Amino acid sequence: MERYDVAIVGGGTSGLTALRQLANLGKQAVLLEAGNTPGTKNISGGILYSKKPKNGRVYNIEDVFGREFIDDAPYERSITQYILHATSKDKLYSIDLTPVHEYQINYAYSVLLSKLIPWLAKEASDMSEKMGGGIISGVHLRSVRWEQGNSDIVIDTDELEPFRVKAVIAADGVNSELAEVTKARNKFSSEQLYQGVKVVIKLPETILEERFKVTSEEGAAHLFAGDVTMNHIGGGFLYTNRDTLSLGAVYHMDSLMDNPIEPSRLIDTLIRNKLVAEFVKDRVPAKKSSQALISKDEEIRQHFMAVKLLKNWNNLRSEYYSRDGIKRLIESGKYGTKDEIESRIAFLENELVEKYNYEFGDNYVELEYSTKLIPDGKRCRMKAPYYKNILFVGDAAGRGVFVGPRIEGLNVGIDDAVRAANAVARSLDRNNFDEQYLGNFYTKSVEESPYTRDMKEIDKDYLKIFLDCSKNIPKDIVGSRYGMIFKLMSSGTLRGIAVGFANMLGFDRLLPLVESVDTYVNVPVELADRLGKTIDSNYVPTTPSLQERIAKLDYNDDSIPHIQVTKPRSEFMVKMASLCPTRCYSYENGNVILQHEGCIECGTCAYETLWRHPRGTKGVSYKYG
Amino acid sequence: MPVRPLNVGVIVKLEPDFSEGNVSYNPDGTLNRAETKNILGPHSAAATLAAFYCKVKYDAKVAIGTMGPPIANQALRQAQLISNADELHLYSDRIFAGADTLATAEVLRLGVSRMNNGLGADIVISGHRASDGETGQTGPQTAWKLGYPFIGNVIDFHIDQEGKSIYAKRFISLYGFYDVIEEIQAPLPVFISADPSYKPSFNTISERLSLARNLNEARNKADNFEKYLQVFNSEGLGADPRYVGLPGSPTIVYKVEKIPKAKAKRRVEFVDGNDTVKLDMVAKKLIQLMTEAPIK
Repeated sequence: MERYDVAIVGGGTSGLTALRQLANLGKQAVLLEAGNTPGTKNISGGILYSKKPKNGRVYNIEDVFGREFIDDAPYERSITQYILHATSKDKLYSIDLTPVHEYQINYAYSVLLSKLIPWLAKEASDMSEKMGGGIISGVHLRSVRWEQGNSDIVIDTDELEPFRVKAVIAADGVNSELAEVTKARNKFSSEQLYQGVKVVIKLPETILEERFKVTSEEGAAHLFAGDVTMNHIGGGFLYTNRDTLSLGAVYHMDSLMDNPIEPSRLIDTLIRNKLVAEFVKDRVPAKKSSQALISKDEEIRQHFMAVKLLKNWNNLRSEYYSRDGIKRLIESGKYGTKDEIESRIAFLENELVEKYNYEFGDNYVELEYSTKLIPDGKRCRMKAPYYKNILFVGDAAGRGVFVGPRIEGLNVGIDDAVRAANAVARSLDRNNFDEQYLGNFYTKSVEESPYTRDMKEIDKDYLKIFLDCSKNIPKDIVGSRYGMIFKLMSSGTLRGIAVGFANMLGFDRLLPLVESVDTYVNVPVELADRLGKTIDSNYVPTTPSLQERIAKLDYNDDSIPHIQVTKPRSEFMVKMASLCPTRCYSYENGNVILQHEGCIECGTCAYETLWRHPRGTKGVSYKYG
Repeated sequence: MPVRPLNVGVIVKLEPDFSEGNVSYNPDGTLNRAETKNILGPHSAAATLAAFYCKVKYDAKVAIGTMGPPIANQALRQAQLISNADELHLYSDRIFAGADTLATAEVLRLGVSRMNNGLGADIVISGHRASDGETGQTGPQTAWKLGYPFIGNVIDFHIDQEGKSIYAKRFISLYGFYDVIEEIQAPLPVFISADPSYKPSFNTISERLSLARNLNEARNKADNFEKYLQVFNSEGLGADPRYVGLPGSPTIVYKVEKIPKAKAKRRVEFVDGNDTVKLDMVAKKLIQLMTEAPIK
């Protein structure tokens, strides 16, 4: 049996950070990634933070990947605006939370993981290969075992011969199979999870910059609460990427269980909000229905011609609206002036309209539909994130900071990964993998992380900035519900006492008060109704059907279903018929039936099913992430 | 004692690209060879993949050779991209023109002896056959000329470097059954032809790491494939003009004929759907055919 020092399971941002950090420390590690290549299975909301807390230190991605990360990595934009919108029908009340967003940060970049992760993977594997390790893609872990009298871990996969390692870093995400097979923690329940659904929307670069009033490097983030949530606890988000938008809806699973609505409908509702609609709007061609009788051959000929013209139109227009695109087009020699390009675009449009029965109008272009579960760190972080000599990081350990408008997952996982890598390296140096020496050391290190503190208690400085941002909210709206809290928090001296008292109560007892339908729905709706300005827009987006959304995804179907329904009649499973984002479940004759082919591996149904990831290279592959 | 690195030679053939849009025809409907793009044939690609397997698994030295006009370069680049080959050989000379399989085998025999810095090859790999010639003779004839044992239709193999032998699995047909797998051992040096279905598998961590490294190297090498390319003419190979090209080809093409279309054996008879007597006959006929039909 082959032997390696360390195995890392999962090639997401945390796993790759751990691999690189171990290589930085001169240690050998192999990373197993189930996807065809790293970056095909990863989904995130889309902001990566680098932070500088006043008390304690966190490890940021550039601490591991070096200055090259900031200079070369393919992130999207530096987010410099952070705005919360309270919505009610076509009315909107906005609060600028940029100071809250900028609290203790070095930067915040919007990212698309399918672009970013391949870069991280290359950087990490180049370094790791020098230490005799590297990344092995298309491999799915099946189980781990310990042989008697030996602390080495034997790893069984679906694809490779078993091999032996001294320690494992589990970076296999929210639906961690390592946690499942070792029983290191329970499966996350609906009280501990958010379900996030996201679409990536195309929007040409310079149009985007004009619309969001940002420069070529900057970007904006918009959050939404109120009626767009359809009475759920959570909200919508919209982040600007280079030439796309990430638009998502994130809701607490228990509120979705109380009031199950299909994820694609939640996103549709968000898109139809007047402001969001204006944000995503673009010039889009559509084929008019035609009454003219033409032969099949002629129809096919016309179709091919039109497709060719559309492709040309699309490419030229994207280039025209991209940064320095006009300059590049002129330098290529094809066009003499900006006017020439414009008239060419107009010509192509005209051809499509006149000859091929197309019309151009306001609509938007969706590129990718995705879903992910997000562990609510406040409620489900592993108190001791290890099992024997396996260390859990990031989502796998149930860690993330989600407090009000503070949404941080990627950077928390990265911080964990560095701590885990450091702990493992220390154990390798002493050849000591005892729980005391490895697991406890890692737990202590994670407990020291400022992120862990933020999962346990209220940061009163953060709260003060938040309250300052929202000081124009009339007291009577919040008064009936949070009057006491507000009064206490608004005064400098009392705030300290109030926060202290609240922290004594603990998040557990405080959260149901703060995270409620009142906070996320009723107060925002009332705010928008009374103080909001009306958005003047006639544009109603045509949202694609779920079938159209699924059709755009890439699948490599695993003939063996990776999910088994064990309780076809349970209340939970019946709700899955609504909550599965790709409608894999149907309800027939009192039983819930699964068709796994369209599964996008979010894990929403995992709590009451036998749920595994598909075998290596199988399942869905994302192009944006 | 360190084992001497394994030397692998691959002989490949440049073939017309029959994929859509790449084929060019003369007005009379024959293939326009000058205009049609050339690629590494699918069977040659399987052979190249077998060499890549040796590269990944045994850290072998790999040389790839082909006989053809100077435009064969691109096919060799393609082969290098697949196999991470260390040497690319092009055996190109006007006097090689008009060669049949035997004369081609002579050139390839000489080519193999020049491979891997003149050390030759412990394993020579060829494809099953070419998709434009379809004779499947060049491989075995080269093996015969080299004096190596020949194993055809290989689907899997491993090498015992110390014992200097190969253990191979190959498809054979036996008692009318196809796809019977035979396991076979042979001494090195050996000549194998890769079955079209050949697909290497890498099942250990070290192989997968080596796979990633080799894929990376292959990309870098193929970007500068000219650096690895050596062109040999007749003189460079030390060929005897009697055995190469047209003089070395005993095959005589007497006449090329179009293959006539076979006559259809089926007969069509129309039956009126209202005529019960006729329908009864149809049913009887069907039952008879179904009961007599051989079970496959």
